[in-house]
Amino acid sequence: MVGIGNVIDNKRGNAGVPEPYDVIVVGSGAGGGMSAYHLTKSGLKVLMLEAGRNYDPATETPMFNIPAQAPLRASSTPDKPFGFYDATVDGGWQVPNEPYTVAEGSEPFTWWRPRMLGGRTNHWGRIALRFGPLDFKPRSRDGLGYDWPITYDDLAPWYDKTEKLIGVSGAAPARGLTNTPDSPPGCLMETAPPRAFEVFYERAFKAMGIPVVPMHAAVVSGKMEGRNTCLFATPCGRGCQIGANFQSTTVLIPPAKATGNLTIVPNALVYQVDLDKAGKAKGVSYVDRVTGEHHSVTARAVVLAAGSGETARILLNSKSASFPNGLCNTHGMVGRYLMDSVGLTVNGQFPALEGLPPTNDDGQGTQHTYVPWWGYDKHKELGFPRGYHIEINGGRRMPSMGMAGLLPDDELSVGDDLRGKLRQRFGSVIGFDGRGEMIPNDDCYCELDPTVKDKWGIPVLRFHWKWGDYETGQAAHMVKTFTEVIERLGGKPMGKVETDGRKAISKGGEMIHEVGTVRMGASEADSVVNQYGQTWAVPNLFVTDGAVLVSSPDKNPTLSILALAWRSSDHLATLAKQGAL
Amino acid sequence: MSDDTPKPYVSKIDRRTALTWIGVVGAATAVGAGVVVYGPKTAGHAEAKGYGTDPNLAQPLKAPWPRILSKDELQTAAILADYILPATATAPAASALGIPDFIDEWVSAPYPDQVKDRPVIRDGLKALKGDLLGGDAGRRKAALAALPTSADARTLDFFKRFRALTIGAYYTTEAGFKDIGYIGNVPRTADPGPSPQVMAELGARLKQLGL
Repeated sequence: MVGIGNVIDNKRGNAGVPEPYDVIVVGSGAGGGMSAYHLTKSGLKVLMLEAGRNYDPATETPMFNIPAQAPLRASSTPDKPFGFYDATVDGGWQVPNEPYTVAEGSEPFTWWRPRMLGGRTNHWGRIALRFGPLDFKPRSRDGLGYDWPITYDDLAPWYDKTEKLIGVSGAAPARGLTNTPDSPPGCLMETAPPRAFEVFYERAFKAMGIPVVPMHAAVVSGKMEGRNTCLFATPCGRGCQIGANFQSTTVLIPPAKATGNLTIVPNALVYQVDLDKAGKAKGVSYVDRVTGEHHSVTARAVVLAAGSGETARILLNSKSASFPNGLCNTHGMVGRYLMDSVGLTVNGQFPALEGLPPTNDDGQGTQHTYVPWWGYDKHKELGFPRGYHIEINGGRRMPSMGMAGLLPDDELSVGDDLRGKLRQRFGSVIGFDGRGEMIPNDDCYCELDPTVKDKWGIPVLRFHWKWGDYETGQAAHMVKTFTEVIERLGGKPMGKVETDGRKAISKGGEMIHEVGTVRMGASEADSVVNQYGQTWAVPNLFVTDGAVLVSSPDKNPTLSILALAWRSSDHLATLAKQGAL
Repeated sequence: MSDDTPKPYVSKIDRRTALTWIGVVGAATAVGAGVVVYGPKTAGHAEAKGYGTDPNLAQPLKAPWPRILSKDELQTAAILADYILPATATAPAASALGIPDFIDEWVSAPYPDQVKDRPVIRDGLKALKGDLLGGDAGRRKAALAALPTSADARTLDFFKRFRALTIGAYYTTEAGFKDIGYIGNVPRTADPGPSPQVMAELGARLKQLGL
């Protein structure tokens, strides 16, 4: 048995699982991991069901491997879409045996799923930005989108706790930038100094009046009690063998297991919440992905954290006489208000960075600095209502199969000439990635496909997607900004630059920030869960993943999912102690 | 002159790996799938299996699919790869790093990008074989020198693609890292940031840009 302790080996069946449990947690990523962490620490017996296999970062992470050790020099393939060394197991844009569909007439939508303990926290980008006060009240701000039932101040203490628990770099003197919260002293560690290319691009933004600030990243960049410090080498997307960045499998699940209150069953694909006669959740049913056997397990409460898509699918597939259209879906709200981030990239090549003396630019894996949205008071003149931040990558990073892309397409030198040109241009490319807010719209949602089923006969999701003008307008502005920055720095964009926002914008789901299918709200009529992720329809059923998000600000969602999951789990634990489940 | 006589390319794969491939091919033949054939007219034939969605990442196995290049094609690839990246006083030639074997691994792979490259690379090698293996040094040199400026679109496509694969394969090795000046992938207790020398150089260039 590979792994980290009391993980049930499915091949041996579930005879060893002691029941009853207090809480079943479905999923083991940011939401599920944090829920299990807090609930087990609160003394509750938790059964965690993970659809993927067990996964052990300590033994499975390819920390210092180089491309030459991997098939095809670690290039991306359909089996490993983010490259051979990406941590993702059994997944990507397609998962074997588990299809999804996109409705006819819809814009493209794509859905990234792993099948492993810890879910997407194993490979995520580690960018850990807080949502700001405006992000919780968008409708009050300008009439667009919907307000959350909580404010920034409600979540702020949980952000503080989360940052201190998971380890986040990015400490800086308070700047007071609009809607870009400064963490209180003691929450963040100092980031490593900016790399040469980061020093370089900052000047252009400065000349445009745009601040560049330390990135908030879930990387242990300094000394932290009980944690290893970053080795300032090897990409975080491979995962971290020494647990120096945040992964559910290194930071949340081990301490949860140490309480003795956590049992994990991998390969358990949950498809249904089971109700008792009184209409309360009595447990869930799942199919074992390896054996194909069906199982039902029971507990006093159920937490869904399977990811926004899968959580919605479980609810929609949980049909009963009381809920003929799916559990908690009496008002047709499950699957609605699906959101992603707006994204696109423009790469530039910069003569001014050519031939700099060799320097180690590996850094802390993520960007050391970034550009928060700067135009909060300019939306009227800009013509689009919401902003974006910029994640900027470059430097002399480990060469990949794409090295020939450093040279222009018509540059065909060989020999010493070729070697010299490559050496000269190595490290002279910078990629500008925009990540922007999307406003939820009626054309973006998921539902059950009427005919398509997975390998085990369970109906799959059908997605509907359409970017609004708000998003495509924002995308066009990203391109304009990035090309201006590239020009100011004396560089040239690489490849054809698409200036039409509708063509340049990412596909739905492509930023892997899909959120909002089971949103929280102030009433049952316009939301599925309350501010604690507790479903309105079933009081002992909770949702603690990105499905509960009401808006999708430009800030990457993981830190907020963690903070919300902690807050919701604390509420659940309190109810359990009061005997109110 | 020794420079003009190409050394026979000795494959860098080990015997055990080669035997594995023979085993794979044998098994495929036994169930009637046949050996892997290439080309645009072979639509519908079964590709070999890839490494799957859950390969061992920490200790990767060699790519499992059988190799399709012939000995002559490998030798042709070796001469061309060494024309693109010959040995220098401090860096090995492409063939010494096993680049021809990598080209074989690439064009033999069952994935869409590689299947797309397969006829481009293999047809190109077949077309070059006579000039590079059959002739004297003069014919070889002339054939190589003509590639970057070829008026034939297919030949030029082949050269560009072969060169890109050679560059990618070369610089993703330890020797390639050294040659290009990549000095990372080492554990450190702290990241001190760019050296004063780098900062001074960068400062001068920013000044030139008026920034």
